[in-house]
Amino acid sequence: MTTLGALAWVAGLIVLTAVLGLTWRARQGRVHTEQGDVVTSAEVFSDAPFGPEATLLQFSTEFCARCPATRRLLGTIADAHSGVAHVDVDLTHRPELARRFNVLQTPTTLILDRTGRVRARIGGPPNRADVTDHLSRLTSPVQGTVAPDHSITCSTTHSTTH
Amino acid sequence: MSASAPIDPRGPRFGAAITAVLLLVVVFLTLTGASVAALFLLIALAALFAWGTIAGVARHPYAALFKAVVRPRLAPPRELEGPEAPTFAQGVGLAVTLVGVILGLLGFPAAVGVAAAAAFVAAFLNAVFDYCLGCQIYLLLVRAGLIAPAPTAS
Repeated sequence: MTTLGALAWVAGLIVLTAVLGLTWRARQGRVHTEQGDVVTSAEVFSDAPFGPEATLLQFSTEFCARCPATRRLLGTIADAHSGVAHVDVDLTHRPELARRFNVLQTPTTLILDRTGRVRARIGGPPNRADVTDHLSRLTSPVQGTVAPDHSITCSTTHSTTH
Repeated sequence: MSASAPIDPRGPRFGAAITAVLLLVVVFLTLTGASVAALFLLIALAALFAWGTIAGVARHPYAALFKAVVRPRLAPPRELEGPEAPTFAQGVGLAVTLVGVILGLLGFPAAVGVAAAAAFVAAFLNAVFDYCLGCQIYLLLVRAGLIAPAPTAS
């Protein structure tokens, strides 16, 4: 092949990879609403109870660059909203959970409503405004039935790593 | 696993940028028919991946270059990261480039270019978009049941 032809192929490879990267980045952290199954804390081997208003259910592995930052972010969001819990599940030794919840990247976060039903899915590191926005829609009185009398607040962050 | 000392996540990305450029050179050499040069450069890159895999990304020569030359010119990092995932990614890079090297030695020069192109995609995405291939492959291995099963099976 001529030098010019080879350079054209190399340039094509760069452009293709850049398009791939831009597509991937545009999808990261986006909140996809869905109506999923009802999940209980026992099913994900969590010692911590789910929140009485909503739960941020994070899936991580031991080899996950962005999981610690996501854990801190979701922890502070849960702390700031009464009745919202953050639960972090390490999938490393729980492949069946990865398959059941169709986790294709880490971190993946599911937002559960007060009944434990999956209402949204976020692939990649979430952004604070989008999560807060979705939580306020889930926990607003218009959404569900009469707000139950939850005087306790549950905003502990627990990990099932060990 | 024991937690290793956290590192500046821009270190591995800096290394990936150099690797990506060198992998492109391998692709270019293969396309222009300079098969021997392409094979030798890929062997050198595989050796660097082996270094990163065995010693860890924090003790890679690119990490030393980053610490000495690049880091002093940057603002402090917003976040530190564990070195496990990028070190694992070095192993993935080693596997891919090693396949290219072996096929190249067996007399398939095109495989050298194909392996370099595949490794380039991962290195470029890592350097430019902060994509973590190690994290992704690790999760796929977990899903396939290839990582140690639950210590306390229930």
